[in-house]
Amino acid sequence: MTGAAPPAGPLAGLRVLELADEKGQFCGKLLGDLGADVVKIEPPGGERCRHVGPFLDDVPDPQRSLSFWYYNTSKRSITLDVASADGRALFARLAAKADVVLETFAPGFLAAHGLGYKAMAPDNTGLIMCSLTPFGQTGPWRDYLSADLLHMAAGGEMASCGYDTSDAPDAPPIAPGGGNAWHMGCHYAMMAILAALVHRSVSGEGQYIDASIHEACALTTESAIANYVYRGEVLKRQTGRHHAAGTTPRTQFRASDGNYVCALLGGRLNPRFVRELAELLDGYGMAGDLKDPKYQDQAFVTENTSHIIDDLVANFIASVPAEEAYHAAQQRGFTWGAVRAPEALLDDPHLHDRGFWKQVEHPELGRSFTYPGEVAIYSDSPWRIARRAPLIGEHNLEIFCGELGLSRGELAVLAENGVV
Amino acid sequence: MPRPRALDNVRVVDFSWVRAGPWATRWLGAFGAEVIKIEWPENERGRLPSTTTPQHLESNLNTSGNFNDTNVNKKSLSLNVRSPKGLEIVKRLIAVSDVVIENFSSRVLRNWGLGYDELRRIKPDVVYVSMSGYGHTGRNHQYTTFGPVAQAVAGLTFLSGLPDQPPAGWGWSYMDDTGGMYGAMCVLTGLYHRNTTGRGQHIDLSQMVASVPLNGPALLDITANGRGSRRPGFPPGNRAHWPGTPLVSNYRGPTVAPHNAYRTHPGGYNDWCVIVCHSDEEWRRLVQVIGTPSWAADERFATVAGRLRHQEDLDALIEAWSVTLGKYELTERCQAAGVRALPVQSAEDRVEYDPQLRHRQMYEALEHPALGAHKVQNAPFILSRTPAENTRPSPLIGQHTREIVEDLLGYSRDDLRAGFADGTFWPAKRARFPYQEEMLQ
Repeated sequence: MTGAAPPAGPLAGLRVLELADEKGQFCGKLLGDLGADVVKIEPPGGERCRHVGPFLDDVPDPQRSLSFWYYNTSKRSITLDVASADGRALFARLAAKADVVLETFAPGFLAAHGLGYKAMAPDNTGLIMCSLTPFGQTGPWRDYLSADLLHMAAGGEMASCGYDTSDAPDAPPIAPGGGNAWHMGCHYAMMAILAALVHRSVSGEGQYIDASIHEACALTTESAIANYVYRGEVLKRQTGRHHAAGTTPRTQFRASDGNYVCALLGGRLNPRFVRELAELLDGYGMAGDLKDPKYQDQAFVTENTSHIIDDLVANFIASVPAEEAYHAAQQRGFTWGAVRAPEALLDDPHLHDRGFWKQVEHPELGRSFTYPGEVAIYSDSPWRIARRAPLIGEHNLEIFCGELGLSRGELAVLAENGVV
Repeated sequence: MPRPRALDNVRVVDFSWVRAGPWATRWLGAFGAEVIKIEWPENERGRLPSTTTPQHLESNLNTSGNFNDTNVNKKSLSLNVRSPKGLEIVKRLIAVSDVVIENFSSRVLRNWGLGYDELRRIKPDVVYVSMSGYGHTGRNHQYTTFGPVAQAVAGLTFLSGLPDQPPAGWGWSYMDDTGGMYGAMCVLTGLYHRNTTGRGQHIDLSQMVASVPLNGPALLDITANGRGSRRPGFPPGNRAHWPGTPLVSNYRGPTVAPHNAYRTHPGGYNDWCVIVCHSDEEWRRLVQVIGTPSWAADERFATVAGRLRHQEDLDALIEAWSVTLGKYELTERCQAAGVRALPVQSAEDRVEYDPQLRHRQMYEALEHPALGAHKVQNAPFILSRTPAENTRPSPLIGQHTREIVEDLLGYSRDDLRAGFADGTFWPAKRARFPYQEEMLQ
């Protein structure tokens, strides 16, 4: 490595204070990986998301939560009880110099401790404070409790996900996994913060953002709202494919290796498409009667949709491994994909070509681990993981003493009194 | 003085279509950017085919409800960019714009002669965001996606479903919505970077790649612990863990029970609620809400380990109670007692019954010239100084052609008429809408 500093991310130079649990930690990561200096303010002893598994080598330990690691890259950590008098004063000093404060406390908590936006703004007119909460700062559900599953229910995700009754007669609506209710809230909070930053870069003015996870989830069901608003339709769940007012042709087929393939066909079946499909299937000797000239008539194609999809395509996919069907189809211009388990992504050559997987050092363990990388390649201000998730209060000394000028003796007193 | 908008004085040349790109630029428009959608009726995708045209209207380029909701806050310029004259006009537009955004396959814009090198020549600090399926680099860059394919290939589909069933997946293009969010984030970070450094750039976003991190901590369980997701009991439906299988995190949060969906009265298609207890204390509160039935004293249910092990019995007993209550009544009773519960809500439930969304004015009507007044989805956040607002309905196709060509780019009325006659602004042989005839007067 040469001594030249690597090019900075687009948010380089910004100081973000993050007081966030599972609801907002992903937003802090998005900011940090794009170059912001994110200081996570944890309660003394560590944020409770450190107790969420899985854990490294299945050894439960607040420093080994892979969930915490995942959502807290590119951040530094200090511990501070912001509800204590000393903590309040220290937080106010940090906030006076911060560009963004991201917080996920219950509505009104910070204001009750004199740390709300109205208290902070006079000393820092450029401050952007974003409160990301389950339901926002106002309204009848403001103080309701939530969880990922609860948001997926009330947001409308579950009403659209599940099974055809013929596949699983008694199946409930299904909430997709991965913690995506939190992701949805964080995406919208991130967008709002970025818009406020652009405004500030022109005007110098900060502002307050009241973001709601429930609303973010309610916004993330594509045409479900439009189908209701414009046609009065309530859509039905369909196995592995789009919700719809009626029953639609299936798009998910089992391949020879037991994995599934998502093959989009419905609504696209015309004579030209059928010719191309016949060529694809014929390469495997599976074209059946599809090369017959009778398929050059649109009416005939429409009448035989079920035969084409449920017999010919299903049989073709059943005869090859899912990855082979995926690549063979895509190389002929079909928008198909293998339904992969996440572990298959580690071997995806396309992701390797894009330099997607990153090695991140965990020096205290003497090991490095593979993390997912950038979703977008910036030509002038690259994304990067600046560091692994911080240990509990790892940066207390450099921030409280180095930056705020506390003596080590003062820091020790604060620790003894449970403030840090 | 009018209230400032976050993206005042930002102009966006928007080549995007279908859903993911338009969902990105919808938000740029809500923040006050002037979004100019470049469209051509002969190869339009997004307005047609429409499954959201009101039953009483003819389905045409201006009557898709979903297009309207996806394209509020924009203007439309109808222009044949694949003609030399059209290309020249769009270059003049780019020269006075800040952002170029598109969601074509990876080589389309370059093949038109509008690759980043050319864009940069026209406008040195342009922020160019490409939103392709697989990105502009990598061996599969020419592959194409719709949301469901990106979700399948990237692992998200697999994370949804019941054990021993095919994946349930996502019942819509989650990655069109979310790809759009990332598209907007790319534009905003690009603008922030430009405003602070003076430099533009190309940001190469991939819908498939953007799906990958949304698998969450499952990815680190693979890379750090060597544990894959293809295992018994995974995904565990709506549960945090499937009984009878090894106790392993499901990447949704703490492993607890109860954690499931339960039927509610009167047993209709969406009469379900979900209940989650994150602690023994929350479990005891739920027991009180249920009325402290004798079964709840069973020692099998006294600990989280016991509740996880005996989920089949536990869930059946809870459901025997939940079916006696409507989902909103159940929610209110539980939440009043500090128990995590919410109803499964359909679109109708959200628009008509959800008291929180109503209080927050999530759905407000906007008048559209062809569709009439209909509710449009608002932003899920309130910015105190520069709120995101839906200020105009989606454009009719080519609705703002005259305004852009004459007022912004300085062409004459005769130029406009000539462009309509020679197929630059509308296919010469295609019938025009009345508002197009009007703009030629």
